[in-house]
Amino acid sequence: MTPSGPRTDTGRDSARRTRLRARVEAAASSYHELPGWEEVAAHAAGLSDRVAVAPSLHTTQPALAMRLEAEGCTVVVPGDEDPAADVADVPVAVVGGELAVVETGSVLVAEHGLADRVVTMLCQRLVQVVPAEVVVDRLEDVAAWLAERSGRASFASLMTGPSRTADIERSLTIGVQGPDEVDVLVLTGTDPVTEEPTP
Amino acid sequence: MSTLRPFEERYATALADPDVRGGLTAFQRGWRDSRDAAIADLEQQEGRSFDELRAELAGIKDGVLADWEHHLDTFTTNARAAGAEVVRVATPGEANALITERMQAAGADLLVKGKSMVSEEIGLNAHLEAAGIPPVETDLGEWILQLAEETPSHLVMPAIHKRRHAVAGLFERVLDRPFPPDDIDRMVKVARTELRERFLASSVGLSGANALIAEGGAIMLVCNEGNNRMSVALPQLHVVTAGIEKLLPTYADAMRQVRLLGRSATGQPITVYTNFLTGPRPGQEQLIVLLDNGRTAMAEDPDVADALRCIRCGACADVCPPYGIVGGHAFGHVYTGAIGLVNTSFHHGIEAAAGPQSLCVSCGACATVCPVDIPLPVQILEVRETVARSESAGSAGRVTRSALRAFQHPGLVDVGLRVAGVVTTPLRRDGVTAVPSALTSRGPLAERIGWRTPPAVPLRPARDTLRPGRLEEPPRLADQPLAGRKVQLFLQCLSDRLAPGIPIAAAKLLRAAGAQVIVPRDQHCCGLPAYDSGEQDTARDMVRQTMAALADGADVVTPASSCLAMLAHDAPHLLRGDTVEVERAQELAGRTYDLISYLASGPGRLPAGSLDDGDRTPVTVHRFCQASNTLGRGEAIEAFLRDVAGAPVVPLPEAGECCGFGGSTSVRNPELSAGILDRKLGCVDRTAASILITDNPGCILHLRGGVHASGRGVEVLHLAEYLVRRLPVAT
Repeated sequence: MTPSGPRTDTGRDSARRTRLRARVEAAASSYHELPGWEEVAAHAAGLSDRVAVAPSLHTTQPALAMRLEAEGCTVVVPGDEDPAADVADVPVAVVGGELAVVETGSVLVAEHGLADRVVTMLCQRLVQVVPAEVVVDRLEDVAAWLAERSGRASFASLMTGPSRTADIERSLTIGVQGPDEVDVLVLTGTDPVTEEPTP
Repeated sequence: MSTLRPFEERYATALADPDVRGGLTAFQRGWRDSRDAAIADLEQQEGRSFDELRAELAGIKDGVLADWEHHLDTFTTNARAAGAEVVRVATPGEANALITERMQAAGADLLVKGKSMVSEEIGLNAHLEAAGIPPVETDLGEWILQLAEETPSHLVMPAIHKRRHAVAGLFERVLDRPFPPDDIDRMVKVARTELRERFLASSVGLSGANALIAEGGAIMLVCNEGNNRMSVALPQLHVVTAGIEKLLPTYADAMRQVRLLGRSATGQPITVYTNFLTGPRPGQEQLIVLLDNGRTAMAEDPDVADALRCIRCGACADVCPPYGIVGGHAFGHVYTGAIGLVNTSFHHGIEAAAGPQSLCVSCGACATVCPVDIPLPVQILEVRETVARSESAGSAGRVTRSALRAFQHPGLVDVGLRVAGVVTTPLRRDGVTAVPSALTSRGPLAERIGWRTPPAVPLRPARDTLRPGRLEEPPRLADQPLAGRKVQLFLQCLSDRLAPGIPIAAAKLLRAAGAQVIVPRDQHCCGLPAYDSGEQDTARDMVRQTMAALADGADVVTPASSCLAMLAHDAPHLLRGDTVEVERAQELAGRTYDLISYLASGPGRLPAGSLDDGDRTPVTVHRFCQASNTLGRGEAIEAFLRDVAGAPVVPLPEAGECCGFGGSTSVRNPELSAGILDRKLGCVDRTAASILITDNPGCILHLRGGVHASGRGVEVLHLAEYLVRRLPVAT
């Protein structure tokens, strides 16, 4: 891991994130801006002492599990054999997002393998971590991201808040088959390439 | 194919269940508020109107159909490259056989199903049950219906016809533990615990597709609960069922659909999960079944091809007044609401489509909210004509046809109504025929006329009173915008014979504004009743008759907005086979006005305060539904009453919703019509106004009858009747 300098945050970036926060909260998720992964670990550990980490995030961010363990958590990274059983009773899961969309307050999560998918499907509280650099304005930005990767087998989900239903008398109930709660964490102080915390 | 019960049975069941009407009225009102707010937000965000946004999406869908094979090939090639198997099937039988065979080969003993209307269309569940592969619906609403052994009643909210106490009772019975009816949260959460183990145990899963994206060979799949994601991700075999019309060229096009889909379906800017699946995950098989089942035939029929744009949002049901009374089990087939009245005949045959046709009141509301701008009201009437020509119309259809053919002859109508006028003279009271209560309180007449007192049949039609020299000269207004202008008054057949006070008042107003009013002798009926009944040949004849009667190049003014809608909107469509006739119809439409348009913004525009007599009795206004939905009229009458007549106007809730008259609907399905009328009069009660004003004679006779039968103290007046009272007193 190579140390990086502090990122430069423009007023435009800040305004964009303000709009993102409004949309995320309108979708019934919570929104947080954190400087780096250490704070992500502290945030997740504050929610539960058992935390799952999506395998693809664990690959790019191995230090996260160590930091969670340092916070006193038991960390679960589901394996390929029976990933659903691995995470079935884990209350909190952390995944990385590819994009965060201001227009809708959504986070795009790419999760091709089953072990990644079960993390976002089966946990009760989902923590989505997105670098500030990939906060985009419009759904067309998502379309461009998908089009660039077309031709490859993939599974990408634009997630907007916790699962919900209004199937009984149009009465809104949060938390059905998917997560009951969603936290969107925007990393404002981390180089997205090296994932190194700001000094 | 279908195993649904006959229409008459479904209709009777729906009417007998108070939950259906009570639940759906609340649902429709809530949906309207959410949807309108969401669309307004979108318009602001995009800087474009709803009409512009939906035209864009409609254009994309039309572009797909124009080069359908190319897009299908592109999708198929790209999906196969990503590892999916793509199979096109022509019929439900082929689809069911293929899916069953593959699931058996996969060793399936259980199927977890995400929501899929195509699976309902092909009757897949019954097929799989018979093959020993029990399907488990995983969408909460679908699961409730599966437990209740029912089918979806709405495209998006499948169990919206069931109320909380019914769901609680169902869960208590099936799950054998108590469920308090007001604890919806608990009922919802039980789905998670009950279904989770099925997800983990099943080796096969099935989903529909909200779009097939050709560019990437991807499936777009939206859901709120998260069940669809599990249905497609966890099993070893994922089967996708989709209609071949679901294609979109690019991901960018998919985003345009996303912006309109969630807002139109549930009033959400976007659903919780918008998934893009390209091929199977590692270790999984993916079978994409693309179904035709009548879609190619639809595309080849220019009268209905636009219906293939449908993105299954259900908005057309959410604004449909009859749907709000009887719900989707009666109003539709597998596909419910307005779109079901169009596509059912192509997917399930004309017989399946026939019954619900009589429920549509032709109010046009569905077209105003459709996010892909499908001309549903026109298409429904095209299907209705096919039904009327078929054996499915039955004896009621033959009676309707004979009656309309007789109605084509003005002399016959004239004699018949004059006789009726004489016969009913003893019963004539204040504009109604006071049928003895012994006849209306019980027995077969009760449901026909007990809820709506019939209008009085006058001894003389309006045209007699309006003969030259017979009508007393009205006092003149100070301003004479029509001085020296000739105006042809088109009476409307209904008001001419059943509400002559309306055209007479209109004539007085026009004269007071300076017009020379002519009543062409050969006028009869614009053809709307015949068109509305699916009798297009008769309707065309009547349009031609009307065009001939009004051939004089002068302005035409009618006190019936329904006639304007017919002449301006429907006549060119009806005559589309002959360009000369279309031009004649358009020429007539260009000089035809309803009274409010003529006096508020047309040549007869009256200045502010010119009909203000100082009376400040509050009034409320029912907006004739076709004027709102087809002619695009907004609050013109309210503004005119305020500005020109000085009347205090109390806004009427749901002012533009149909009153339930609906032409032949109120005769064929009086229970339905009564239900819609009751909703309308309930809104009138909330205004506390003692005068209800509207401008379509059919609505007026219907509302007057309902007010009289229910004993309400509200006076129902045509705009002309109200305004003529405010003319200055002759000196």
